[in-house]
Amino acid sequence: MTLQTLVNNLTSDTMNVSLPLFRPELIICATIVIMLIARIPRFTSWLDSFWLALLGAAVAFYYAIPAGGIGAIGDVQRQELFTGMLAYDSLTVFFRLFLVAFAFWFIILVRLTGLADRQDGQDFYTLLLGATLGMCIMASANHLMTVFLGIEMASVPSYVLAGIIKGRRRASEAALKYAVYGAGAAGVMLYGISLLAGITGSAHLPTIATKLAAMDLPALVAANGSSTLMVLVLAGLMIMVGLAFKLSAVPFHFWCPDVFEGAPAEVDAFLSVASKAAAMALLVRVAFGLGTIAPPTAPPIAAHKIPAVAVAYQQPAATTAEAPASAAVAAQANTASPNINTQISSAALAPVRRFIVLVLAIVAAITCTFGNLAAYGQTNIKRMLAYSTIAHAGYMIMAVAAAVYLAGSRPADARDAVAALVFYLCAYVFMNLSAFAVVAFLRNTLGSEEIADYAGLIRSAPVTATAFTGILVSLIGIPPLVGFVGKFAIFKALVVAGGPIMIALLAIAGINTAISLVYYLNVAKKMCIDPPPANRGTVSIGVMPAIYMLIVAVPALVYGIIPGRILEIATHATQQLLM
Amino acid sequence: MTQLTLASILTQPVGVSHYLIVGAVLFVCGALCMATKRNALGVLMGIELVLNGANLNFIAFGSPYLRKASETMGLDGQLMSLFVIVLAAAEAAVALAIALNFYNSFNTIDVDRADQLQG
Repeated sequence: MTLQTLVNNLTSDTMNVSLPLFRPELIICATIVIMLIARIPRFTSWLDSFWLALLGAAVAFYYAIPAGGIGAIGDVQRQELFTGMLAYDSLTVFFRLFLVAFAFWFIILVRLTGLADRQDGQDFYTLLLGATLGMCIMASANHLMTVFLGIEMASVPSYVLAGIIKGRRRASEAALKYAVYGAGAAGVMLYGISLLAGITGSAHLPTIATKLAAMDLPALVAANGSSTLMVLVLAGLMIMVGLAFKLSAVPFHFWCPDVFEGAPAEVDAFLSVASKAAAMALLVRVAFGLGTIAPPTAPPIAAHKIPAVAVAYQQPAATTAEAPASAAVAAQANTASPNINTQISSAALAPVRRFIVLVLAIVAAITCTFGNLAAYGQTNIKRMLAYSTIAHAGYMIMAVAAAVYLAGSRPADARDAVAALVFYLCAYVFMNLSAFAVVAFLRNTLGSEEIADYAGLIRSAPVTATAFTGILVSLIGIPPLVGFVGKFAIFKALVVAGGPIMIALLAIAGINTAISLVYYLNVAKKMCIDPPPANRGTVSIGVMPAIYMLIVAVPALVYGIIPGRILEIATHATQQLLM
Repeated sequence: MTQLTLASILTQPVGVSHYLIVGAVLFVCGALCMATKRNALGVLMGIELVLNGANLNFIAFGSPYLRKASETMGLDGQLMSLFVIVLAAAEAAVALAIALNFYNSFNTIDVDRADQLQG
């Protein structure tokens, strides 16, 4: 293979396969550049960046829809883009649609609340779309570099968003804490990545899984105290530090309540929904990427191209040594029936999965319990919702733990567990976006974010108070609201997984649901039963905000009664995993 | 056993393990710096040290001169460290701007004074 053919292959792969599938991200990039440039010349400065951002998000959403429409997400074949850097499968398509649609609604929200006004709106929208771009990369990461790149691209704009309001002490403190903690966690994660990449000799997740399977891990585990194993465990834990920070999982949750209290409520909605969804997708990618052998991809050359180029440059002799090995692997993958192949990989990678399940289960149990207990004494609504976000992250990590636990033996059930996670995330958008939207709208009219100031709100603003109560009930997980269906799906996944760890998780999740009743209903009681303060004037959030609030809150009831449509999409989105 | 390995490292020609030791020292220095410095700029310097420790690892793991061809990461190592350098610069720029913003409202960059929000 000459250099010429390699370059030709690379060009045609990039131009014909990767770039067309990468269009939504490219459109977001273009929108950012256009928004920034449009401010400079005088004849375009009248352009409102709100419309540009909204248009960019809408076009990106249009191009993110797969060929057969949204219903055809499940038919998307798994491909690797940019020589294995990104994975393009049904899960990528789903999360891209999810994140871009969320960005669209979020842009409307910040316009309605007045956070991003005409003067410096473009700063806000630039940061927002930049973070969304990073999250799209997180959701499709297939290489340790894109894992890190995605996390950084999503985090750095978020640090600025947290402190977007200038001159407020709390906002600047929140931004500083977020930036320092975030950069520290990213640094530790990068060191873990370097160890893992070094010990396996690759940074491409499926290749790492094959290398790990070839290492004969069960024997290493049996020979207690092998140094290779120690480095692997250390690397795994360090990578978990970075992921846990993005998930706001205990013990890396410290930033979450502080940032949520200091930052504007709208930014909290972004951090608690989009950032969390992207982090969950990344967790699934990393856990499945390392814990299972990936299926052979449609263009199989793509995965090994970069290493092949590198080796060819350095030592021509090495290419010949490498080629038979990879050919043998490919031949084995082709000849062996899928079933046998799965069993081989399943046995070889069982220790990896056991490790991931154990870490995730412990983190999930502690995160969930801590979040719910700490939410008790909170007097600030944003702080309470921050702890509630932490607790919900715990429930979602449980679903990932169940999925990894099942991945080796029962792939169909593992897919169902990821589908439960996807459903939960969909439910979570309606609940948290509308909860924070209500908090932002009420801040604009009441000038306060203290729970005590919401007393008797039902008398002065009945629609808002009713909608907010409904959202809180949905966050607890009581039928007929969508939170119940989501929680039920995750509990079902835990039951299907079985085994002592999963049953223990189920018990913890059940107890936590009971605990969470108290603090959510406390807010509902304040709003609906307590008498209003004597000196309160009229409380009116305005017509447009009220319509917006209903548009995002009513689906929580509708999809709670008829969840079929979202369940269907969730099943489609996970169809290509572990196939 | 430990002494033996250390001794052999000192007598052997420079290999991957030497780079890894320097990288680990950088990492530990950076982590200590993050944990003990009270000045926000000191904490940011610690973060840079941690990132560069990881960078050194990438370079060593990717080098064709230090490892057998079947074990190296090839160009991936160098590419990742290049990306990390760029990301570290971007992150430092943003973090410094945030530190300046913090200074404007608190008249200090002592992270212990950031106590309005109690985690």
